[in-house]
Amino acid sequence: MLELENINHVALIGSLMQQMCVYLAVAYMLSKTPLFAPLMQVTVRLPDKLVCYLVFSGFCVMGTYLGFQIEGAIANTRAIGAVLGGILGGPGVGLAVGLTGGLHRYSMGGFTASACAVSTTVEGLIGGLLHIYLLRRHRADRLLHPMIAMGTTLFAEITQMLIILAMARPFDQASRLVAHIALPMILSNAVGAALFMRLILDRRATLEKYSIAFSAKALRIAERSVGVLMQGFDQKNCSRMAKIIQEETGVGAVAITDCERLLGFVGIGADHHIPGTPISSQHTFQAINNNEVVYADGVDVTYRCSVSKDCKLGSSLVIPLRGEGNRVFGTIKLYEPKNKFFSSINRTLGEGIARLLSNQILAGKIEEQKRLLAQTEIKLLQAQINPHFLFNALNTLAAVIRREPEAARQIVQDLSTFFRKSLKRSGTEATLKDEIEHVDAYLRIELARFAGRLDVDIDIPEELLNLRLPAFTLQPIVENAIKYGVSQMIEPGRIAISARRRNDQMVIVVEDSAGLYKPSPESGGMGMNLVDRRIKIRHGEAYGIEVSCEPDQWTRVAIRLPAEEELVTC
Amino acid sequence: MLTALIIDDEAPSRDELKALLGAFADVEVVGECANAIEGLSAIHRLRPDIIFLDIQMPRISGLEMVGMIDPGALPRIVFVTAYDEHALKAFEEHAVDYLLKPVDPQRLEKTLDWLRSGACPSFRQLPGMTEMLPRIPCCGRNRIFLIPISDVEYVHTDISGVQVVGADRQGMTELTLKLLQERTPLIRCHRQYLVNPDRIHEILLQENGAAEILTHSGKKIPVSRRHLRELKDRLLIA
Repeated sequence: MLELENINHVALIGSLMQQMCVYLAVAYMLSKTPLFAPLMQVTVRLPDKLVCYLVFSGFCVMGTYLGFQIEGAIANTRAIGAVLGGILGGPGVGLAVGLTGGLHRYSMGGFTASACAVSTTVEGLIGGLLHIYLLRRHRADRLLHPMIAMGTTLFAEITQMLIILAMARPFDQASRLVAHIALPMILSNAVGAALFMRLILDRRATLEKYSIAFSAKALRIAERSVGVLMQGFDQKNCSRMAKIIQEETGVGAVAITDCERLLGFVGIGADHHIPGTPISSQHTFQAINNNEVVYADGVDVTYRCSVSKDCKLGSSLVIPLRGEGNRVFGTIKLYEPKNKFFSSINRTLGEGIARLLSNQILAGKIEEQKRLLAQTEIKLLQAQINPHFLFNALNTLAAVIRREPEAARQIVQDLSTFFRKSLKRSGTEATLKDEIEHVDAYLRIELARFAGRLDVDIDIPEELLNLRLPAFTLQPIVENAIKYGVSQMIEPGRIAISARRRNDQMVIVVEDSAGLYKPSPESGGMGMNLVDRRIKIRHGEAYGIEVSCEPDQWTRVAIRLPAEEELVTC
Repeated sequence: MLTALIIDDEAPSRDELKALLGAFADVEVVGECANAIEGLSAIHRLRPDIIFLDIQMPRISGLEMVGMIDPGALPRIVFVTAYDEHALKAFEEHAVDYLLKPVDPQRLEKTLDWLRSGACPSFRQLPGMTEMLPRIPCCGRNRIFLIPISDVEYVHTDISGVQVVGADRQGMTELTLKLLQERTPLIRCHRQYLVNPDRIHEILLQENGAAEILTHSGKKIPVSRRHLRELKDRLLIA
C-alpha cells in the first residue's frame, strides 16, 4: 500500500496511464472477437444490451483490479467501463454496469468503499443520461465521438471525487486522498475513455472498409456478368463467366462445372484443366452429391489436383450451383496456388457468386422455356391446318354426295365443327368436353373416309368432362393414331379413347389396334412431340405423354395432366 | 378399249373414281383393290392397261408399289393423291401424269386422252423405285403381311409362285426373284433360290461341286455349281 506522502502526481498519472494501456490492450484483443460487434453501434436490441452490460461490467471490474491501493482507497480506471456502458447501452445498461462495478468495489472494502460504489453507479447513470439526451436531440452520431466520451468521463470523475468528499469518513482523510488522486484519475480515465472510443471507431472503420471492398467486388462481378449465363449454361459462356470472376476476385483460378464435366476454367493450371473433360475431383463430387460447400484449405483438408501432379494449385473452394427445388446442377470452384492463402473475402464472395450464377441460369431457363412454349404454340397452330386431312375430307365428301346426300350434309357439319374448334387459339385452355367434341368431329370424317376400315370407341366418364387441359392436346394424338396407326393397317382397325382420374391427375389414353409405333422423330409424329413439350413446359416433367406399344397389337398413348377443374362462373 | 384397275385404300374414293370413269365408254374398270399387295396380285393377274394408283396407302405406298411390279407386266400408271408435295414435285419432273383428289372430271378426260395417245413416262426414275426394299409384302393363309428383310431366310420359286420363307412364317409374294435380287440384300444361290447372307449358318460343300446352305433356323437350301463361286465371292470366302 502506498502512502500518500510518498507519491507525486506525475508518477501516479504515469502509473495510471500504464494501467490504462493494459486495459486498452485487453479491449483491443476483445475488439477482434464477435462479442465486440454489438458495441460498435448504439445498442437498441435487448441481447445486444446484455452483451454491452457484460462486457463493460467486465471492464469495470478489471479497472478496479488493475488499480493501486492507496491508504485504503484505490486509484483506478473503473469509470471508463461504467461511462462507456452508459453512453453505448443507455441509462439501464449504464446503471447496471455502474452498480455491478460499484458492488464489486464495495466488496473490496476500504474507507471509500461505499462512496466508490455509489459514485460508480452514478457514473454509469451519467453516461446513460447522455445517451438519452443525445438520442432525444437526434444526435446519436455524437455518441461515438471520442471527445464526448472524454468530456463525459471527465465530468463523471469530478462527480465521483465530490461524492467521495461527501460520503467518505473521516473527511480529512478523504480530502487528502482526493487532493492527491483527483487529477491523475480524472485525466487518465478521460483519456482512456476517449482512446477506448477511438478503438471502437477504428474497428468499425476497418469493417466498413472491408464490406465496401466486398460490395464493390460483388457489384462489379454482378455488373459484368449480366446475361452471360442466361444465354445458356455451356462451355463458351462458362469460360467467359470464369474469366470475369477470376479477374474480379484475383483468385488463382476459377472453374465452372455442370454435374458431369468441366465447362470453363481460367487461371493457373489451365493447361491441364481442359473444359469438356469429365469432373475428377473428389471435392467436386462431394459438393454435388451432398449439396454443400466444400473447402479444402490445403492445410486441414488437403487439396491435390486430380489431373496433374505438377499442378500449382494448393487450395480450393467448391460451391454447388443450385437450381429449381434447390437441386444441384453444377459447381463453381475457386482455387488459390500453393503459395497463397484463400482470403476470407473471396470465400464469402464465392457463395454470393454461386447464388448469382444460379439465379442467372434459372432466369435463362425460364426465358428459354417461354421461347419454346411460344414456338410450340405456333407450330401447333400450323399443324391444325393440315392440308392432307382437308383434301381427303373433301374427296370423301365428293363421293358421298353422289350416293347419300344426307350423309354428305352431316360430313359438312362435322367439317365445320372441326375447323371452328381448330381455329380457337391453341394457347388457350379448353375443357375435356371441348376437346372430345373436336376429336369427335374429326373422327366422324375419318370414319366416312375409311368406310368400314375404322372403328371408334370413346369412353369418357361424365364427371371428367369439365376438367381443363391446353386446347388442341387430344386431336394431334388421335390424328397420329389414324395417320401412323389405323390407316396403315391392311385389315380393319380400331381407335379407343378413354379417360380416368387418379387423385389430382387426369390420364387420357388413346389406343389404336395397329401397334406400328416407332420412336423416331419422323414417324413418332411431330404433333405428338409438340403436345408433350407444351405440357411439360406448362406443368413440369411429371406430366406429358407416354407411349407404349405391343408390335402389331396396339399402340397406347397416355396423356398425363394435372386434374384442374373449370372455374364455375355464375 | 382401255382396261383400268383402281387401287386406293379408301372405299369412297374408289367409288367416286369408278363413277367418274363410268362416263367414258372406252374405259372398263376391271377391278378395285384396297392396298398395294392386292394391287400387285391384281396387276399380274388381270394385266390392265391402266392403273389409277393412290399414293397414300397402308404399309406400302403407291410409289413403293410401282417398284414392285414385274417390269414385264407394267401397265400405264396414273397416280392419284389428295396432297403430297414431294410426290407432286417428282411427277412434274418426270412428266408422270397424276390426278388430285377430289378428281376433276375435265382433268380426268385430259388424262385419258393422253393415255389413249400411248405416251409412256419413265417410272423407273421416280423416288422409292430404286431404293432397297425394307420389307417383302406377302400373302399367307387369309392374311396379308410384310416380312422385314432381316427376318427372311430365303426366297424360292415353285409352280405356285414365289415363296418367302422366314424363320417362323412364310408366304407367297407377287415380287419376282429378279426384282428381289436387285432390290434386297438377298443373294442368288440357285436358279430358283435367293438366300439372306445374314441367315446362313453354314455352307456344306458337296462332291459334285454344288453345295447346300444350312440357315439359322435349320432349313436347307441348294446351291448350284454355277452360283457357288458367286456366293463365295460375295461372302468373301476364297
